[in-house]
Amino acid sequence: MTKQKRNNVLFFILMCLILVVYLIPVFFQVITAFKADKEISLMGFRWLPEKWTFDAFANAWKMANWPQAFANSVIMTVSVIVVCLSINLLAGYAFARLKFRGSDLLFIILLMGLMIPAQSIIIPQFIIVRSMGLYDTIWGSAICYLSAPMGVFLAKQFYLSFPKELDEAASLDGCSKFGTYIRVYLPLSTTIIATLTITKGTQVWNDFFYPLIMTTSQRNNTLQLCLQLFKGSSTTHFNWLMAAATVTSLPMVILYFSAQKYFVEGLQTTGMKN
Amino acid sequence: MPAPILNPGFGEEALMQGKAKKTARYDNSAYLMILPSYLVFVTMVLVPIGWTVYLSFNDYDLKTTAWVGFQNYVNIFRDSIFISSIWHTVYFTLLTLVPTIVLSLLLAVALNKKIKGQGVFRTLFYLPHILSMVAVSLSWGYLYNAQAGIINRLLKTIGLAPVGWLTDPNVAMISVAIMSVWGSLGYNSLLFLAGLQNIPGYLYEAAEIDGATKVQQFFRITIPQLRPTTFYIFIMCCIHSFEVFGQVFILTGGGPSDATTTIAHQVYKNGFEYYKMGYASAEAVVLLIIILTITVINYRYGGNSND
Repeated sequence: MTKQKRNNVLFFILMCLILVVYLIPVFFQVITAFKADKEISLMGFRWLPEKWTFDAFANAWKMANWPQAFANSVIMTVSVIVVCLSINLLAGYAFARLKFRGSDLLFIILLMGLMIPAQSIIIPQFIIVRSMGLYDTIWGSAICYLSAPMGVFLAKQFYLSFPKELDEAASLDGCSKFGTYIRVYLPLSTTIIATLTITKGTQVWNDFFYPLIMTTSQRNNTLQLCLQLFKGSSTTHFNWLMAAATVTSLPMVILYFSAQKYFVEGLQTTGMKN
Repeated sequence: MPAPILNPGFGEEALMQGKAKKTARYDNSAYLMILPSYLVFVTMVLVPIGWTVYLSFNDYDLKTTAWVGFQNYVNIFRDSIFISSIWHTVYFTLLTLVPTIVLSLLLAVALNKKIKGQGVFRTLFYLPHILSMVAVSLSWGYLYNAQAGIINRLLKTIGLAPVGWLTDPNVAMISVAIMSVWGSLGYNSLLFLAGLQNIPGYLYEAAEIDGATKVQQFFRITIPQLRPTTFYIFIMCCIHSFEVFGQVFILTGGGPSDATTTIAHQVYKNGFEYYKMGYASAEAVVLLIIILTITVINYRYGGNSND
């Protein structure tokens, strides 16, 4: 028993060590953000700042229009989530509960979309966005994010776990299929809504590829693109860069710690394929 | 499907079921419900796939289109940078695949042990996954920096020569791969963790009674039981590795001297820096074919071994 206990303590210490080593890039990023400019170029290396200062944050702040970029990211992410939720849940319900010709085939084609790399279809997407007049707006990226086979898939999986009696009861009460979805399924969908919001939200918020292609003006930058461009304008000021990287990561980190349950849930259901 | 036999002995219920099956009507309203999702999917994914293939047979620079047949394909396979980008992509995949699977499995087993603060450990190990590629690449770019980077500073303190993590063509891709493994570890280990939790406990109890050691249990029960999860992670890792772009774009920009340029990076460069969109489309088609081949092979092979 005592040997077991000792082993457990040793294992705990080992895990702490691994965790610390694993998170060094993150710690180091945050710590560097608090260093003064002269400490960055200093030859003698110190882990912790000699003097903790917010100078790097202040300097990074001046270098780009962060509030604009932040607002763009928020507007884009929220709109994508709202549209995706409203169309994907409905499709997921239809695939899970309704019988229609070709449903299996249609679903499989949709799933194949999961395998398509963005880079292999980006050129036509770019042409489409341009022809819609959405080039150099956040909506150009947003429309590309709207195609969400994963969302339909997760919604279908989620609704499959509902008892069939729900439908029967609803249809006895004279509900149409759509009515059943709105009145019975949707109110019970909190979990899947949270899960999809978080998986889609993380993806859209963190992406820089589509904004990179679809926008050119500075005022249309998203936060990630702004961060990426900021790298070019302050190459050697690592403390500024780390300050910007830290602050831009904060919203996601806060969301993660407050809704962690749904992050894990979303991830694990995503992994539960077939 | 055989026609339902109307046997009075089965009673009314069976009769009703048979009848319900036969007369089960299709819900055409379903098409309306999937329409919005499908419309977006068709216009933003399916049509672009066909369009990419079409463009790959043309010269296109956003203004003029000219049919050139297979010329783009001939050209890309004569383009030494593109050929080397294929090898870099394969190299990157090989560098990331095994470490990702092995390390995330080990981490999952560790996180599955009942210890103090188990939840906290899981939360923190997963943290890197929610950070954006840009932020992660920026902080790793600093770690890797030849002069200011902490890795080289540590090497110096223990008396080793500095390494050009991002400046040495032989090392740069390894650096990109290390960062990628780091970034995906938490995510994949949580997938493994879900798999581990689905293994029925009685298997281990039975093994325990038979006197199997922990190591034996790991190889005889855990690994075979995790096969579907491992398979899924394997495919997804392959696919993500083949489409690697963000890390390369931010960390090395494809350099030094094109040593880390990948297929996806070439598509971007030719398409959106040089506006050779037909040419880039041919490269995109190659990427698409590679990824579809991996998927098909994997499912064939994996499907057989799962049954």
